[in-house]
Amino acid sequence: MDDKLEKLKREYMNIPIPEELDFTVRKALKESEVNRMRRKSHMNRIRIAAASVAAVFTVLIVGANTSQVFAATLSKVPVVGSIVKVLTFREYTVNEGTFNADIKVPAIQGTENKTLENSLNEKYLEEGKSLYEGFNADMEELKKNGGGHLGVDSGYEVKTDTDRILSIGRYTVNTVASSSTTMEYDTIDKKNEILITLPSLFKDDSYIDIISENIKKQMVEQNKADSDQYYWVEGIEQDSSMELFDKIAKDQNFYINPEGKLVISFDKYEVAPGYMGVVEFVIPTDILSDVLVSNEYIK
Amino acid sequence: MGEVSLAEQITDYIIKNKERHYRLAYSYVKNNDDALEVVQESIYKAISTMDSLKTPDYLNTWFYRIIVNTAIDLLRKRKKVVVMDDETLSHYDLSTVDHYADIDLHKALEDLPIQYRSIIVLRFFEDLKIEEIATVLDENVNTVKTRLYKALRMLRVQMDDCR
Repeated sequence: MDDKLEKLKREYMNIPIPEELDFTVRKALKESEVNRMRRKSHMNRIRIAAASVAAVFTVLIVGANTSQVFAATLSKVPVVGSIVKVLTFREYTVNEGTFNADIKVPAIQGTENKTLENSLNEKYLEEGKSLYEGFNADMEELKKNGGGHLGVDSGYEVKTDTDRILSIGRYTVNTVASSSTTMEYDTIDKKNEILITLPSLFKDDSYIDIISENIKKQMVEQNKADSDQYYWVEGIEQDSSMELFDKIAKDQNFYINPEGKLVISFDKYEVAPGYMGVVEFVIPTDILSDVLVSNEYIK
Repeated sequence: MGEVSLAEQITDYIIKNKERHYRLAYSYVKNNDDALEVVQESIYKAISTMDSLKTPDYLNTWFYRIIVNTAIDLLRKRKKVVVMDDETLSHYDLSTVDHYADIDLHKALEDLPIQYRSIIVLRFFEDLKIEEIATVLDENVNTVKTRLYKALRMLRVQMDDCR
């Protein structure tokens, strides 16, 4: 080979390898493995649900019964909406040079339905704790290998707090040179004190297709208006080796915004390249009107 | 069973070749943070699209292709690259590189249009065969040969060693 090419190759081979590389790679492998498994279990869940529509009905009936009970209980309580609140229950922090963690665990207070309140709060605490423990384990591993950068920032934001609805979003940002972000929502009906799930809002599973089609349309429209708005979806992504967004999961992340609109949320890397971050789509209520159980939550 | 072993093979391959992947990403984006992001994002994409990999024999070209596409996406986002269409490329006049004659070789390589630079990197630094480069870049073999020839001429490298 020519001298000059040899010289260029040497330069290329001398590109310094950062110490975080090994960790970044292992972390990405671990995370994508988890995502793959989660996606698989979503698929299974959809299959099971499709096989037994009856199951969905059962849930709805239980929901309605429970609401009546709560409606009765609540009629004795004079002020309802204002006493339910969200506060920081516990905070884990690590501050050791290049290792930084800040994990805020929220807790809901003031609902009459202690079962719901406790189960949510326990879930929050459990997840906060395991996040903290995971961070510590990763930190020790990095230290053993000569150090590096590692950060985790987790907290919550109240997306909606009306008389009727409380939507809490909990985010986790993992930083290893670049970052991954996940967002998880819980929405409760403050009046009836029940947890609202996505399937419980609709008469049947047809919402999955209706919402998915609308999101795909929104993605392409956004991209037409501004080519920086990039999604892995048919009509934008040309690379045939990429997996394109097809459908939302049956229990896709969602919340209800203060205007009473359904908002569907995707984690970083779920449907778009990393620079797009967490992406959200507001679903117009008129396209949902035929499949909504009622207009009580979604307006 | 088949899938489990494929996932394991991909994981092993990624861990074993991470430095090569990083260098390839770096050769496009030119900085540490972006190169790490490209590697990370390529892993996400690879694992989520592993069903598209028919046989582990093509693992290397398949993963290189993901890296190259991810890196170009990132550059496009940062507006650091103009990906020329074929027509513009074919008019890319060799005379435009004349003034590189006195500048150093490194600069000449950096200033090559990205389609040409990719081929130099993959052929001479990563030692890929022409056929493999064609797969990575999703071009046909003849296009790759033509561009390689042209790229070398632009670099003013003697043609002796290149097929």
